[in-house]
Order: sequence, then C-alpha cells, then structure tokens
Amino acid sequence: MERFAELVIASVLLAGLYATMAYGLGLIYGVLRIVNLNHGGMIMAGAYAAWWLHAALGLDPYLSLALVSVVAFFVGIFTYRLLVRRLPRGAAGGVQSLLLLFGVWLILRNAAYLIFTGNDHTLRTSYSTLAVGIGSALVSVNRIAVFGVAILILVFLHLLLTRTYMGKAIRAVAQNPDSCTLVGIPVERIYGLTFGLGTALASAAGLLGSTLFPFNPTFGGAELLKSFVVVVLGGLGSVAGTAIAALILAVVEVFAILVIPAYLTAAVGFVLLVVVLVVRPGGLFGQRVLG
Amino acid sequence: MRTATRVLALCALLLGACKQSSPEQKQPAQTASGGAAAPSGNEILIGATLPLTGGEARIGGFYKEGYELAFEEANQAGGISVGGKKMPVRLTLLDDTSAQATAASLADRLINSDKVSFLLGTYATNLVEAQSVVAEQNNIPYVNGGGAATAIYKRGYKWVFGLLAPVELLAESIMKWVDAEQQGGHLPKPATIALLWENTSHGKDFRKGVTEWADKTKTYKVLVDESFELGGKDFSALLGQVKAAKADLFLADAHLPDYITMQRQYVTAGLCNKVLSYGARGSEKQAAEALGKKNVEYVLSAVWWSPLLADKNPEAKKFVDLFKAKHQNRVPEWYQALGYETARALFRAIEQAGSLDRNAVKEKLAALKMTSILPGGELTFPAEFGQQSHAPFVVQQNMPDGSSPIVAPQDSATAKGIAPNPNCGK
Repeated sequence: MERFAELVIASVLLAGLYATMAYGLGLIYGVLRIVNLNHGGMIMAGAYAAWWLHAALGLDPYLSLALVSVVAFFVGIFTYRLLVRRLPRGAAGGVQSLLLLFGVWLILRNAAYLIFTGNDHTLRTSYSTLAVGIGSALVSVNRIAVFGVAILILVFLHLLLTRTYMGKAIRAVAQNPDSCTLVGIPVERIYGLTFGLGTALASAAGLLGSTLFPFNPTFGGAELLKSFVVVVLGGLGSVAGTAIAALILAVVEVFAILVIPAYLTAAVGFVLLVVVLVVRPGGLFGQRVLG
Repeated sequence: MRTATRVLALCALLLGACKQSSPEQKQPAQTASGGAAAPSGNEILIGATLPLTGGEARIGGFYKEGYELAFEEANQAGGISVGGKKMPVRLTLLDDTSAQATAASLADRLINSDKVSFLLGTYATNLVEAQSVVAEQNNIPYVNGGGAATAIYKRGYKWVFGLLAPVELLAESIMKWVDAEQQGGHLPKPATIALLWENTSHGKDFRKGVTEWADKTKTYKVLVDESFELGGKDFSALLGQVKAAKADLFLADAHLPDYITMQRQYVTAGLCNKVLSYGARGSEKQAAEALGKKNVEYVLSAVWWSPLLADKNPEAKKFVDLFKAKHQNRVPEWYQALGYETARALFRAIEQAGSLDRNAVKEKLAALKMTSILPGGELTFPAEFGQQSHAPFVVQQNMPDGSSPIVAPQDSATAKGIAPNPNCGK
C-alpha cells in the first residue's frame, strides 16, 4: 500500500511537468493549426534564461518565472509577426510551418551551443534537494512547486479563455476565423497573441524543467515529443483535456514499472498514443474549443 | 479533426526520428591542430573524432586536451623517431557531435578523404563501437581510450586497440573493496544489493561484473536488478523500488548527467544505503557543484586513472605536471589522462615499427608493452581479451572535505575507505 501511494504521488507530480510542457503546444495548434516545432527551442531557451538569471543576478527561478514568461511572450509575438504570419493558413501551410519552425529551433539550438557550449548546466538552489513528507513518502519541494505552477497555469488559461474578451476572441478564432473577421475581431492580432502565449508557456516549462534536470542545448527535444503525445491524447484544442491526458500518460508510465522493465517505460506513452489513435482518433476527449 | 490529429501524430513520429538523428545535422566542427591539409610526406597525419558538441561534449573536450598535450609534447621533442628520422605529428580532429552515425562517417572521411595514416578513437562506448567498424574495414590502426564495453573487443577485430579496461573489471574492483569491508565486519554478511544499470553495453558489462561477483562469492543477494534508458529524466519509480528493497548496497552504472539527475532524486527521496556507487561517476567536480558537496559524500567510484597516482608513478607525475603547466594549474581528470595515453601508445608503436606501414604499426601495437601513467604502471593490449587493456582500476571515495582519495587497490591507496555510510540514520 505504501508503495502504491508513492507511485500515485510520483504519477501526479510527473503529470504536472508533462502538462506544463504541453499547454503551449496545444494552444497554438488549437488556434493557429500550426505545429510549433520551435516549442522545444523555447523550452531550452527558458531553461537557459532561468540558469543565467540565477547565476548572474542570483534570481530564484520561481521569481524569474514571470519575467522569463513575459519576455518569451514578446519573443513569440515577434516570431509570429516576422515569420509565421507569412505562411499560408490551414492545411496549405502545414509543411511550410513545420520546416520554418524547425529551422528556428535549429538556429536557437546552435546559438545556445555558441553561447553556452554543449556542456550540461545545472540550476542549483538552496532547496534543490529539499523534500517534505507526504504520508510515508518524501517528496521533492521542487516537484511540488512544478505541480503547483501547472495547476496555476491551468486555472489561468481556463479563466483567460472563458472570462475575458481576449479569451473569447481566441476561442472564436479557433472555431471560425473567417466569421470573426466579419464581426470585427482582429484575427491577425489574436493569432499573434496566441502564438506569444504559447511561446511564453513553453519557456515557463523549460524554466521549471531546469530546476529538476541538467540541461544542454539539446534540451527540449524529448520534452517536445512528450508534449505531442499529451496533446494528441487529450484531444486537440482542449486545455482541460491536456491536463487529464498528462495525468493519464504519467500514471501509465509510472505504474508500467510494475510489469515491464524500467527502460521500456518511456515507450509506453507511444504505445498508448497508437492505441488511442486507433480507438479514438480525435483524442480521448475529442474536439474542444479551448476550454 | 481526425486528420489534424493524424498530422500531429505524424509529427510526433518524425520528431522521434529527429531526436535520434538531429546531432548529425550539425556541421562537424573542424578543430584540427594545424588544419587539415593533404599529407606533406614530412609529417605523420593522425585522424580522430571526438564529441565536441552534443551530450558528451564536456568529456569530449577533456579528451581533446589530452590528445593535444600528447601531440605538443611529441612535437616539442622534434617529432616521433621513424626509422632514425624525426617526423612531426599532426592531428586532424573532427567533431562527431556525440552521434554514432557521424562518428562512423567522419572516420571514413578521415581515412579516405583526408588520407590520415592512423586513427585515434572517440569517446563513449556506443560511438567507439560504431566507429571501430570503419577502422577495421579499412585496415587502419585504431587506438581508443573511450570505449570500455567488452562487446567492442569480442568481434575478433585485428586493428582495434583499447586503453579502457572493461567495465566488468570496474564493477569487480568496487566489489573487491566492498568485500574487504565485509570481511572487516563493516558490512553485513550476506549483504543485499540494489543494482541499476543504463541500458547500454557499458551498463550490461557493469551488471555482469556485479552479478558474477555475487554468484561467485555467495555473500551477496541482488534484490533489485533494473535497467534504465540513457538520458532519463524521471527515476522516481525506479528509486521507489530501491527504497522498498531496503538493500545494503546501491550500485548504479550511469553517465554523468544521469548520475546528477538520479542522485538528486535519490537524496530527495530520503534514500541512504550503506554503500553508494555510480560506477565510474562520483568524484566529478561538476556533480559536487550541481548537487552540493554534502549530497555526494561517501559516493564510491572506480576509475581508470586518478591524479593521485602521481605520488607513486613517475610517468603519471610527468603528465600531471605537464598538464598543470599548460592549463593554469588545473588538475587533470581521468578523461584527459586516457586521451594523452592513447596518443602516446600510438606514437610508441610507430616508433617501434620504424615506419608508417599500417600493418607494421598494428603488429607493434599488438605486442606493445610500455611504461604507462595508468594504474599498474604498464600498458599492454592482450590478445586474449581482444586487444583491450586490462590495467587495474583505482577505487575512490568522496570525503566530507571534498577530496576523493584512492581507497583501493592497496598499493595505490592514499586513504582508507569508509563503510557503512556514516550519513545514514543521521
């Protein structure tokens, strides 16, 4: 029973990390119908930003979360205005957007090699190895914090999308951009804001990841892969679905250790992905329009 | 919506492929010492690749320092004596980006395009495993100090020579020290083991070393025997098994990033075993900085070389002095030492062959017996082990003052090891 409780806690905390990584990717795809391959690049950039702010200014990573997210938000808007808006909309822009954003990711990654070298970096704070007891299990304070931030982001996104004009506009654009133009919603502006928001969420995920793992310029690749799995499982364009899918993926991965060798647990998520695509091609929660 | 889902799923699959191959897409960095021109006939061209970017970049940089020092030393002495004539040596060094396929294709380029006469190997078992195939196919002497798995040397290759003693021997060195502590009454008899190993040839050899020792001595019982994927992020479930097992010894085999991630989660989960080891990792400064000195105390590691050997081995002292003079008094780690010694072994074989004939140099490498900076003071490539060195390991233990003295073998020891871990139960 004790072991079961520990696995449950491990699953829930891992789900927080997965959800944080996936929100931004799901949001951008849900509205712009663009697969943002640079999501991985911004995860990496967020990790380095947190590390640099901590090393140079002594800023705690959780305190720098807002700063990094705001800067990344504007980086996202800039990327949209400079590059993404030139792409054809819808399916016609699919391949181009993949190539373009993959290119941006490669540029970011190589810039990181130039600036920070390929060495692993680690962000160490006074609470990096601090733990608190939950029942019989000792749980990392960092992991709990990451989970807490994941919940806050979920609430923030929910409120933004359901209670604000901007959020309602985002949902409307996700449903039918042409009709939005007819009723006076500035579609291009909404696209830019959404891309900025998704980019900010990616960098926030990277920042949180940097508090848990060593990282180098290749950081973000594996995280992007997990994000894809979560977003597809949850159903495209569903924020709550993303969170639940993250939990399902984490539970399956963590509990898989009871029945299969540990090195195979990472593959379990992809098996789950294939099963869901066969059984429920629209994802576990089908189509939602961001809410 | 189904189409959209499928597009996204396809992206996931494509990205999975990219994840494996992306390092290959980076431009290999040309970092040749002296550039990469056609051979002039008056110098000896030697080719090598190292992981100067990618996951193993840090250690690749260390090997580069070792190679460069050996080349500088040889050239400052006027070059290598070949048939009575001194010839300078030139290294053409390329970045294999920590990718297997790149390491193999660049070796092919060095041999067939840059026309190097001999090859020095890259770092990390998986890369050496792939690259050595190219050397063997092209009949070119290939000396490496970065591949330890026995799988590399069990293929019957004639042109491949390795300085890293097998990982099985590494595990055995740790177990011998543990055994001595057990005999001394410091550890229970029988003792229980939680064994985690990375799912690579390196990890499999480590596992084999530990389990065979346990089977042979009958004084150990392996309670957990699990592997993990290289570059893992979340070890909490795996460490949960270790915790539940309440084993006396926690023995893992991991590369540096995994050691840092796993040890952080190990400490956070409140685990404490009487003996704690991550195989060859443990004493790295980077780990102490990333985890805090307190959190790496009493970690046991077995390595192929230690700067402390300089106290008893004149060759090692000469290397340490040379390295410190060149690098602002920085103390070398085993990576630089192995790089240096790898190049020196090739130089010695060329001198003994008295020509640049590949076959002659290969024969001299096979019969090589040279005074070495390695533990034991002698380097050979025994044919019975597939031309893999079996130089002994030194076992180190991290102490609370931040030092990592040698605790075994007895003839090299600079301090006495401590077991059980005094931090447990505090």
